[in-house]
Amino acid sequence: MHPIARLRRTARVGTLAARLWAHYKLPEYWRKLLGRPEPDEATKRRRHEIAASWILACALEMRGVIIKMCQAIATRADVFPPEFVEELKKCHDAVPAKPFEVVRAAVESELGKPLGALFAEFSERPIASASLAQVHAARLLSGEEVAVKVQYPDIEDIVRTDLRNMERACRIYERFDPQPLELLPLLRELTTHIGMELDMRREAQSADRVRALFADDPRVWIPRVHHGLSTTRVMVMERVSGMKVTDKAALEAAGLDPADVVQDLMRVYVRMILAAGFFQADPHPGNLMVTREGRLIVLDFGLSKELPDGYGLGLFELMFSMMTMNESAMIRAFIELGFETKTGDRNTFMLIARRMLSRSRTGTFEGEFTEEMTDELFEAIREDPVVRVPSDFVLVGRVFSFLSGIAHTLGSRANVLSAMGAGPPG
Amino acid sequence: MTTAVQPFDSSRLTFSEAEILDSGAYDTLLIAGGVRCHGGFDANGAYRSPRTVHRGPAVAAWQARLAREGSELLEIPRALMPPQYPNVAQAKLLLKNGVRDPIVRTLTIISIVEGFGAVIRDVRVPKLGELVVEPLEGTALDHLGRGLFEAHARDEAGWREEGGHKQMWEAARDLALEKPKIPADVMARMMGRTGRRGAAPERPFPMLDETLERMLAMLAQVLVVEVFAEGTFDWGVRLLSDPEVSAAPKEAGDMVRNIRSDESPHVEYLRTALSEVRARTLRTVDGKTIAGRTVVDALLHRVLHAVTRDRPRDQREDVRSSLSEAMQAAPNPAALLEQFDALEASFTPPERTGFEPLAA
Repeated sequence: MHPIARLRRTARVGTLAARLWAHYKLPEYWRKLLGRPEPDEATKRRRHEIAASWILACALEMRGVIIKMCQAIATRADVFPPEFVEELKKCHDAVPAKPFEVVRAAVESELGKPLGALFAEFSERPIASASLAQVHAARLLSGEEVAVKVQYPDIEDIVRTDLRNMERACRIYERFDPQPLELLPLLRELTTHIGMELDMRREAQSADRVRALFADDPRVWIPRVHHGLSTTRVMVMERVSGMKVTDKAALEAAGLDPADVVQDLMRVYVRMILAAGFFQADPHPGNLMVTREGRLIVLDFGLSKELPDGYGLGLFELMFSMMTMNESAMIRAFIELGFETKTGDRNTFMLIARRMLSRSRTGTFEGEFTEEMTDELFEAIREDPVVRVPSDFVLVGRVFSFLSGIAHTLGSRANVLSAMGAGPPG
Repeated sequence: MTTAVQPFDSSRLTFSEAEILDSGAYDTLLIAGGVRCHGGFDANGAYRSPRTVHRGPAVAAWQARLAREGSELLEIPRALMPPQYPNVAQAKLLLKNGVRDPIVRTLTIISIVEGFGAVIRDVRVPKLGELVVEPLEGTALDHLGRGLFEAHARDEAGWREEGGHKQMWEAARDLALEKPKIPADVMARMMGRTGRRGAAPERPFPMLDETLERMLAMLAQVLVVEVFAEGTFDWGVRLLSDPEVSAAPKEAGDMVRNIRSDESPHVEYLRTALSEVRARTLRTVDGKTIAGRTVVDALLHRVLHAVTRDRPRDQREDVRSSLSEAMQAAPNPAALLEQFDALEASFTPPERTGFEPLAA
């Protein structure tokens, strides 16, 4: 990466940080100086919306880690205000693609041959583009249709620069804010995840692992990776096609019941997370498709997570105790999973448990793990900053949040008890 | 202060949901391993199951009504009950030789399966008054969705601050085996069992309202599971109260005994409800009728036929799939396996279930 470009990125991030600081702090100083009352909720919301829109604009312009950071913020409803979460969700599918010549050079450099010597066809327009890589359709010389995922050149350098800049910005922010949001732990988590995503060999192995898990399940399709044509920066895999998992009209037109799709989705993730302790941690709708026969396709194993031994059982206990309205079991599960309070007071967990259970108006959840429950958990934690959420749980919570969002879009609800093997009741 | 179970009054047949769910007060609460469980003890130290102040007398009254009307109370033959694998002698052998994982796994799976019983609260109860020819007032059937299912669910999985059978089995396990490490593959095995279930079977009675058919099938399934759980309780009591292998023989054994006594109301209300259907006539969706007995017997036959064959096979496969690996903890794994196999008792599923459709 050219030093000027590096300097430009640093300056852009620095400017944004300064602008955000002024946006939040100057009105506060002014208010205190004039002895005015606290701003009302609508003013606070508006302030958050403006700040989030600046961050989004910067992320789309600079890409790299800043996009990733925004995606991470969008999943942390437990830490950030809803206005940030809503605005920064847009980072999931608004990343502009790199020109084809850049992609061609990257593939040829990685695989050591001209494109024509490797592929019979290679589409110039990408199928998808994300923060670290983009995907092109291609055909091998054997005739097999494949998808080629290509990491952006210089991305590692960009990532390093961004992480350094962001760490500096976070440290300055923490020095000036008497009650700072805990951004540095989030950044460290992000650094770990990006490290995983930048290694496509790891991604290929993760895909293999999940494919093996579902080898006995004809309703799940994990695309096969061509290891001979894959490196740490390029990955060639079987090309699959299907309907977007959230396209209800297309699913129904194909004679599929969206409720079955939702249940399959829940079953697949419950099996990965609770049973195998290893899961694809990025189930946003762009990574999930459904074939006309109803097979669920899971894509993109860049962010895959291995859970500690026994964590699946702990998660099961938490979800099951919620489903069965058992507060004391919920509290034990919170502790088992590594939730902590700064004071060590268990009553905090009791309050959170009661809040979550209060989401049921009828005294039962009918096996449904709903987005409202996830929202309630994260909201309760955000409002009670004495609680520390274990990072393993954050990714799991994010997955279930995505899944419940998909279920909501399809107008259906997954029965998590049934997905765990308990049902279905009549 | 202790609340006494209501004296038996066979003339009272209708109860409110609150009454069915009423546990009353206990002299002493049941707390095991730091976990507050349901149920408790009276002034004499006798254990009283939860939610039985009115539920017990209610079931007895519905059964008495059946008898008065000349209808029989159905009975699942205990002879059909498949044995637990590994049996008590095999389980003791493993524990004495330091091979704990298979037993810890089995006890954990039992606790989870017990907890899964809570899904019964989500069973949809159709408008029975429209689907059954004869009146239903003052029957167990009339109370399924008005307390009986909910009480059953709470008994199995706990409720609010109380643990249920799931937590009680865990407590028994932790007391007897001193908080053992739970094998990491428990959930994988649970879900593996689910995977073997395959596609949903065809509806045996498509002429019935689907919700009614599903509910009756569920009642038959749960009744058989509950009756056959007697074998599991017997296994649990004998194993966990044996001082040779249990660190807390009295407490752990008593815990399983308490669970066993809680299960009795489940078996009784389920067989009462199914017997009531058996004594009645069901309306079909095309305006005809079918004898309840035909439906109930066919459903019970199907469940019994499958369970007596599948359960012993599944349990055996589950345990044996990792037995060799688990036995590596023992000094002489090969000799231990030989001893273990020598203790196995054979089980041949009986030819007949007693509910054969032709017998109807």
